[in-house]
Amino acid sequence: MTASAQTLRTAHVIRADAEAIAVAHKLAARFAVEASVRDRERRLPVAELDEFSASGLWGITVPKEYGGAGVSYVTVAEVIKIISAADSSLGQIPQNHLGVLDILLQTATEEQKRYYFGKVLQGYRFGNAFSESKSKNAGAFETRIRFDTDTAQIDGEKFYCTGALFAHIVPAVAVNEQNQAFIAFIERGNPGLTVIDSWDGFGQRTTASGGVTLNAVKVPLSAVIPAHKAFDEPTADGPISQIIQAAVDTGIAVGALEETKRYARESRPWIDSGQDHGWQDPFSIAAIGELEWRVHGTEAILKKAGQAIDAALLNANEDTVAHASVVVAQAKVLSAEIALLASSKLFELAGTRSVLGKHNLDRHWRNARTHTLHDPARWKYHLIGNYLLNGVKPARHAWN
Amino acid sequence: MNALTQPIVAGQPLAKSQHDLHNARSLLDATLRFVRQQSKTTDDPFVISRFGDVHIRIEVAAALLERAQEFLNRHEDDSEISVAIAESHLASAQALSTVSDAEFELTGQRTVLQGSLHDPLRWKLHLIGNFRLNGIRPVKFE
Repeated sequence: MTASAQTLRTAHVIRADAEAIAVAHKLAARFAVEASVRDRERRLPVAELDEFSASGLWGITVPKEYGGAGVSYVTVAEVIKIISAADSSLGQIPQNHLGVLDILLQTATEEQKRYYFGKVLQGYRFGNAFSESKSKNAGAFETRIRFDTDTAQIDGEKFYCTGALFAHIVPAVAVNEQNQAFIAFIERGNPGLTVIDSWDGFGQRTTASGGVTLNAVKVPLSAVIPAHKAFDEPTADGPISQIIQAAVDTGIAVGALEETKRYARESRPWIDSGQDHGWQDPFSIAAIGELEWRVHGTEAILKKAGQAIDAALLNANEDTVAHASVVVAQAKVLSAEIALLASSKLFELAGTRSVLGKHNLDRHWRNARTHTLHDPARWKYHLIGNYLLNGVKPARHAWN
Repeated sequence: MNALTQPIVAGQPLAKSQHDLHNARSLLDATLRFVRQQSKTTDDPFVISRFGDVHIRIEVAAALLERAQEFLNRHEDDSEISVAIAESHLASAQALSTVSDAEFELTGQRTVLQGSLHDPLRWKLHLIGNFRLNGIRPVKFE
């Protein structure tokens, strides 16, 4: 299936951090109702996304001077966590939209900022056509951009394009002959752009993280930004991309733990426990205690990561950006760990009946396993250790 | 005797966390110093990652200690304070045992740590779980 252009629902403009959190809680309660059904039927959340972006949450990082709320990254992480606890596919979809907003802030001209931030405040959603499944590694791009006098032409093939199917504008990464990365903002109606709904992963099933082909796509030069500058110089862009990943995984953990407690309350007592109810089992109770402190530890580090990003945005230099990368990496390790642990312990503490298909509780584990693969936690331990032991600052790219 | 069996000092509910966290940091510093003297090991990817793991556990302990302190200062609900304190104890104890294991692995020696059998951590897990799962309030912290 390929999808056509999206309709636009005019967005509310959120004014402050507290409002963003309140709106997220309200939306999450609604998104939670059919999250399991959407996963089971792989029903793409078209109406939910309209509601999500119309709520104003997709514009909260637009700086105050451009009419947005310019909320802190502590708030951004909290919002993504709250939505992901209800439906982690919905929590993941704005991931690249938010990343692109920061790249715009760091590298676009004044005119471009006014134009695109304005669009976002109106309710426009950015998708992404960044990753390529056939290039040498995650940071290598084969998609090419060629500049003419008034236009640029982009050719290539993309995968893991979360959000592109639902987007009004698809930002695509392409490199020039010097291998410098640019982002072209491609309108959904552009004849060279094809978005393919080919995502059939076992988790994060309704993210539509499928493919994009770019076949002689032409855009005006005003629709191109020099994205490489966000990494040539120290900026918080890498940590910003990463904290959203960590927030999704933290949300999955929070959602799985809530579900665990709900089902553990109803579990049968084990024959040797001598208890009348499953919830009286001392080992189950202690296992819940273990999950609780680990979730809270992860949330506390996620908050520290947000604060480190805010500090790096205020004063970007080698040290503040390195510090933000390191703290975000800690959040990334912890959130991956607890998302997988909580979504697996769920079954142990709820008992065999919890694996019945009608409950669809495996979606939490499938989502945790899928989303935590975004970039490997094993290299985050290394990043953190190398900074501590050897004083080596993390490499600057979208995965640190 | 180990970090899992240390007592709370009455009237200073976070003293045990502070104590464990302080010890964890000292052990980490000593281990870092030792390893930096061995030129080959500072390039070993597994040694580097091991420090990453230890550092994460220490930062979690510090963050949960700070959180419990905030709960105390804000005069949160007594049960919430008790649970936050218990979570801080668990995190600090885990940080300390993680760094102690890393010290043994990377230096071949283990610094002796004092503990006690009073107020064991295994019942902190139970206290937290019983409140969150069953709504049973813990006895007030001292």
